[in-house]
Amino acid sequence: MVLGGGIAGIQASLDLAEMGIQVHLVETLPCIGGKMAQLDKTFPTNDCAI
Amino acid sequence: MLDAGRHAKINLLAYSQVEEVSGEVGAFQLKVRKKARYVNEDLCTGCGACVEKCPSTVKDEFDVGLGERKAIYKYFPQGIPSTHCIDAENCRQLGQGKKCGICAKVCQADAIDYEQQDQLVDLEVGAIVLATGYDVFDPSVIPEYGYGRIDNVVTALEFERLLSASGPTHGHLDRPSELALRVEIAALEKELQKATRQIDKLEEKHGKKTAEFVKEFKAGKAGEDGDFERWAGLAEKAAVAEEKLAPLKKRDAAAHTAKKLAFIQCVGSRDFRFNRFCSSYCCMHSVKEAMIAHEHDNETTSSIFCMDLRAVGRGFEEYKLRGGESANIEYVRGRVAEITEDESLNPIAWYESTTTRQVEHETFDMVVLATACVPSAGTPKLAELMGLKLDENGFFKTDPLAPLDTNRAGIFVCGCAQGPMDIPESVVQASSAAARAAEVVSMAGEVAVGGS
Amino acid sequence: MAEDIRIGVFVCDCGSNIAGYLDCPSLAEYSETLPNVVFVKENLYTCSETGINEIKNAIKEEKLNRVVVASCSPRTHEPLFRESCGEAGLNPYLFEMVNIRDQCSWVHMQEREEGTNKARDLIRMGVAKAALLQPQEPIQSEVDPKALVIGGGISGMTSAMALANRGYQVFLVEKSSEMGGLLRNLHKLAPANVDAQELLAKQVEAVSNHENISLLTSTTINEIQGYIGHYEVTVSTNGVAQDFGVGVIIIATGAKVFRPEGLFNYDGKRVITQFDLEAFFRNKKFKADNVVMIQCVGARNEERKYCSRICCMIAIKNAIVIKEQNPETSVHILYRDIQAYGTENEALFQHSKQLGVRYIKYDQERPPEVQENAVKVYHHLLGRELEIPQDLVVLSTPLIAGEDNEALSKLLRVTLDANKFFLEGHVKLKPLDFATDGVYLCGNAHYPATLREAISQALGAASRASIPLAKGVMTVEPIVSVLADEDACRGCGLCVALCPYSALEIVQTEKGRKVRVIPVACKGCGVCASTCYQHALDINVYTDDQVEEQIRAFLTGS
Repeated sequence: MVLGGGIAGIQASLDLAEMGIQVHLVETLPCIGGKMAQLDKTFPTNDCAI
Repeated sequence: MLDAGRHAKINLLAYSQVEEVSGEVGAFQLKVRKKARYVNEDLCTGCGACVEKCPSTVKDEFDVGLGERKAIYKYFPQGIPSTHCIDAENCRQLGQGKKCGICAKVCQADAIDYEQQDQLVDLEVGAIVLATGYDVFDPSVIPEYGYGRIDNVVTALEFERLLSASGPTHGHLDRPSELALRVEIAALEKELQKATRQIDKLEEKHGKKTAEFVKEFKAGKAGEDGDFERWAGLAEKAAVAEEKLAPLKKRDAAAHTAKKLAFIQCVGSRDFRFNRFCSSYCCMHSVKEAMIAHEHDNETTSSIFCMDLRAVGRGFEEYKLRGGESANIEYVRGRVAEITEDESLNPIAWYESTTTRQVEHETFDMVVLATACVPSAGTPKLAELMGLKLDENGFFKTDPLAPLDTNRAGIFVCGCAQGPMDIPESVVQASSAAARAAEVVSMAGEVAVGGS
Repeated sequence: MAEDIRIGVFVCDCGSNIAGYLDCPSLAEYSETLPNVVFVKENLYTCSETGINEIKNAIKEEKLNRVVVASCSPRTHEPLFRESCGEAGLNPYLFEMVNIRDQCSWVHMQEREEGTNKARDLIRMGVAKAALLQPQEPIQSEVDPKALVIGGGISGMTSAMALANRGYQVFLVEKSSEMGGLLRNLHKLAPANVDAQELLAKQVEAVSNHENISLLTSTTINEIQGYIGHYEVTVSTNGVAQDFGVGVIIIATGAKVFRPEGLFNYDGKRVITQFDLEAFFRNKKFKADNVVMIQCVGARNEERKYCSRICCMIAIKNAIVIKEQNPETSVHILYRDIQAYGTENEALFQHSKQLGVRYIKYDQERPPEVQENAVKVYHHLLGRELEIPQDLVVLSTPLIAGEDNEALSKLLRVTLDANKFFLEGHVKLKPLDFATDGVYLCGNAHYPATLREAISQALGAASRASIPLAKGVMTVEPIVSVLADEDACRGCGLCVALCPYSALEIVQTEKGRKVRVIPVACKGCGVCASTCYQHALDINVYTDDQVEEQIRAFLTGS
């Protein structure tokens, strides 16, 4: 079980799921994505955050 | 994000909260409350027709209050799951006991379900990873920075939404004072329009221009009619609105986007009154925001006020230098003492420059506060629920030599839930927490096999 | 008779990222006029679940057999669109992506009309190519469930332990005769407040006794051949060679301490480095009354622009050690920025100030000057030069990349950054992976890291590496080189020499010397196909025919 659907929660869930382990990802907000989804771009490459 | 939503091995429980935890490593039992969305997940296509028609408008949390959303909404456009959700408190039907039901009428998929209830889901898991993140420090508790009082003082996350193409200003750096101004203008115009419509009707009915009527009315020569009191009132109202509008519109016409920016570092961090710790990512966040603002408009200049500029990762120092050389960024060593406002609503930063040893002040178009990363509000409750220790700053406590382990076996913590860190570090920690959790689960698996 | 080509085109607004700068409705209208296009849709976000469902429904309802999405970068979104096509029953490789964001709306923000025209050209070319796409099947290959960890420092040992505990066999290779890497030189560790040598001894014992770990000290890597799932490794231990196979490789080779020869009168006795100081502590040779530390020696300058991340904390930690031994000893730290990021580091920084450690900021333009018994430094706040007495000067020097990095990067075909540290696949989202699958990295080999960070990274790299090991079978994208015309191949071997991924070899066949492609190793870069004189090699989803058709569509405007 992973609590929190931000970038850390998503990455942890994906790694575990890719290893073949069943994951329950729990997020309190209506959508996953966390703070990173609110960012416009990320440095140093200025890539889109989503 | 999408990958997580679609992975066959990931059961996504959004809009849900853990309520009870029991058991121990290898076999935890949890109760999770899946909150009612009032929208059926299997039916909703995420088309958004309901949002268009919903009559209730509220501030948008995703745009940190800078934009608006409806009572039925999707948290953000690319959000996963794309199922919409009704915020019951602000819904006319659900929260205010009024008759509405518009969303149910427009929904082609029949997905709206006002009767939906919270669901309690029982889960049994071998290990738990906490990735509960952080909250942004609320700078309104620092009176000298005027956040909440001075419109054009914003937080870094608010500024991020202003910069974003999908944000409330479509990426143009319109100042909050002008955004407020436009809201005010729109309200006055609406009022004026309403009055004008009624006046037009009265003019037609009585075959007289309002100006003429008012003149007569004031002179007491208008005669008697049931309409006249109202007509005069409306005329007065329209005149007042027009008078109010003129200077506002003039101000709006003269307004320009923010081109001169100040970034103030360590707002709520490295400050004994609030948090002693350094929030780690804010220096680079400010440099990035200044870079993007400059990319958007080449005339933008930025001053970053800092104690130390902590550019400690690969390429960070180089990025910082690039900002100084090619994006009009000036790094000023000094802590801003106070922010005031001039009559044009420009914030003024007062500070002592440690290089010139003088108290100086400078006027900006907008000031961005690089706010601290603080433990998320739910942390103490979750810690109590799971029997976890917190550190002196209120984050989940970990050991430098076992950076992902909490005080309870089988419960791991990664990302900003254990302290401020930047994105790559959070991603690294997420993978390492996954490694620790996998170790536990694979061992528990062996125990189970051995026992059978 | 081949089936009719039915192409669906989806034009993404990307919110306002594209639609704000290009005329998307006109692009959609234009797409309808292109040959073989039977369905067109403009989406607010094609990548949203709504957009994806529209693609899926159109495949079913409009019987599309080719899909073109005009949106953002294939790097981030192509896998999603391909997979979605697959879910709707269309072979994922009958999908073509056109990048009208990076190549049009972003670069032509100020030129709406020209940008839109360019997007029109690109969509026309994409549609032309799509008509010639052929279905492809994923390539599968088994994974050898063993790992090679290169480097026996704390990172390498931690990674090896994590993998071994999961039940995988690990070869842990260290070039020197002893395990431990940089940790061997350290005295005390902060903020854990443990003795480095005790920690090291414990970790070495755990690694040595683990049944799944083969410990190979005094061992160098001679040769690595192969690809994810199948690496053939040749090492030599004290001159004796041995071979073994592994499925994944973790690079944990660490870094070196920069020696400040010729800087600030460095002599290793009165003017020493932080690492020398740690040795003084361990050997109980430390004796000084007035210590002056200078930060950023050989870092954040013209020659070495980067900040080495950890030197401030090393200085602070050692200053605390000195103050705890004798509070009367004066310690000055001359710095440019104190990089005490985060909770623990900042707490240590503040603790050191409480113990009486003095901090003086210096300007890069006016660096301190080390004299016989003093250090001269210009003090910002006072606005004048100070003379600080000293009987020991400690220089904080950066970590620099190991000298073997270049050779190893060539052997594994992974990239280095400008400072010769190993460069991860993506700075934000893939900090532990490389562009080359099957190879992972952690610790100082990546960039200077604290102990806490190195351990996190090591566990994380183990997590990433364990994914293919756990899967057992690798599925590789079928975007690869194929020997399209075997008769044309003369077996000249030019392509073999040029292939950056060792994905080609020359074999003897009935028809003579011919090239053979190893599909799992192939990255589809196209070097071989574009250099083959005989046009014998092709990339299966970028065939000569397809590319020529795209060029024709561009030039003829139809």
